[in-house]
Amino acid sequence: MVDLFTYDFMQRSLLAAAMVGGLCSVIGVFVVLRGLAFVGAGTSHAAFAGVALGYLVGWPPLFLAIVFGLATVWTTGWVEEKGRMKLDVSIGILYTTTMALAILFIGLMKSYNAEVYGYLFGSVLSVTSEELQIIAGLSILVLGLLLLFSKELYFIAFDQEMAEASGVPARGIFFLLLTLVALTVVVSLKTVGAILVFAMILIPASTAYQLTHSLKTLTLYSMAIGVATAVGGVVISAVCDLPSGPAIVLLATALFFCAVFLSPKRMNRSSPAHSH
Amino acid sequence: MSIARQEPIIRFEHASFGFPGVIALQDISLTIHAGEFVGVIGPNGSGKTTLCRAVLGLMAPLEGHLHIFDCACEELRCHHRAKIGYLPQKGVVDRNFPVTVLETVMMGRYGALGLFRRPGIKDREIAMDALAHVAMDGHKDTALGHLSGGQQQRVFIARALAQQPKVLLLDEPTTGLDITTQHNVIELVQHLHEELNLTVLLITHDINMIRSRVDRLVLLKTKLYAAAPPAEVLKPEILREVYGKDLVITEKDLVIVEDYHHHH
Repeated sequence: MVDLFTYDFMQRSLLAAAMVGGLCSVIGVFVVLRGLAFVGAGTSHAAFAGVALGYLVGWPPLFLAIVFGLATVWTTGWVEEKGRMKLDVSIGILYTTTMALAILFIGLMKSYNAEVYGYLFGSVLSVTSEELQIIAGLSILVLGLLLLFSKELYFIAFDQEMAEASGVPARGIFFLLLTLVALTVVVSLKTVGAILVFAMILIPASTAYQLTHSLKTLTLYSMAIGVATAVGGVVISAVCDLPSGPAIVLLATALFFCAVFLSPKRMNRSSPAHSH
Repeated sequence: MSIARQEPIIRFEHASFGFPGVIALQDISLTIHAGEFVGVIGPNGSGKTTLCRAVLGLMAPLEGHLHIFDCACEELRCHHRAKIGYLPQKGVVDRNFPVTVLETVMMGRYGALGLFRRPGIKDREIAMDALAHVAMDGHKDTALGHLSGGQQQRVFIARALAQQPKVLLLDEPTTGLDITTQHNVIELVQHLHEELNLTVLLITHDINMIRSRVDRLVLLKTKLYAAAPPAEVLKPEILREVYGKDLVITEKDLVIVEDYHHHH
């Protein structure tokens, strides 16, 4: 088994998994707290449509994935802000529309293209050095922006109107968050795939949510869980010869249920809050 | 205190608010002076919360003008708004959000800090001082969700104080609290008004709770019906005009509005 880790491809995939796991789990904290869980799912399918179009017309797939992802999150954010429709309805419509587009683009291709399906299901073991560089670059960008605006992001997740009223440019920060979600999804497409990236965003943050009452600790726990499950999942998939995406997600899910049952919050619920 | 000599802090000039086709507040002319304790009352849907959102800069007037700190600009994001500490209506925020008491109060510093700057030791001191003012400094590391309703309200008041505001704007601060806690919260507000010389704008349904404490009562029902000391506003003929048949006035002069709890 030790021999396995001396292979370049294995080192690359572990590094990619660690970066994607860390990135998804940190942005996941804000996604879960701000109630944008479904936006993650919608964006990943939109980004996949971008990839399919890229292969159809011969443009860089990741570039079009970013365009599709951003168009989806910005439209969703705009619709929510205008109060025209509930967020889950608008994202539901965009989600299915972009998926329909993806199927249409794949249907228009003259031959079967296995690479497109790689983006749907993820293939962390086939990550190239070039892709690793793109993942690293975008991860640094997204994590840097998250760190730079973390106090405002926490505030809008807690209470956007209150943040706005206290002088924080809440609207801009909300759109920044949506943009970062879209970028994170695109970064993760190749490694975990359009279907499972949503789980990488949602599960570590939800697991950490069970374990703490502090925002800072929540973020640190989520990141640790994200990195550990992504790396652990890749190792399991390599050793047991299983697909990597499902291995990561199922490991994360198992950890989530352990956290739910062992949650200090759950224990506390049986004893009522003291009052003055 | 003589209100006339105080500087005007909030000034509505024939201001109307709402959305096209739905007017929530119409032709309001009202001046709030520095150091005043003003109660805002009115039936459900009378525009009390709209008044609150307008003062906070979350809504622009459809007609007329609203000056904050006598700033003539119509810019909603004017820096003067940061001098208004705000306590939102209960239920607006998720009180089980994973956040500690100190983390919650520190958010009050974020507007003043601006982008790119991290809160420092001084901000922490201001936040701790705000917690001491509401007697919650012993709970700084407690989870917000573990506190009682009254304690949470104190923490949110501390967050508003951490902004080092000139004005404290409270939207129904006693809703959902038991009677004793309601009194404690209102007493705390009065104490802060006196100790920190804060201008207080308190929106409430509970006229009896605040009538003896406020300098003036503002009575709204889309239009401004009165803005005067309580004795001048709480007259049956004025109140009946606004509350209609829902109003009961007891022998002890208590004002009871029958649909008091129905609006949430």
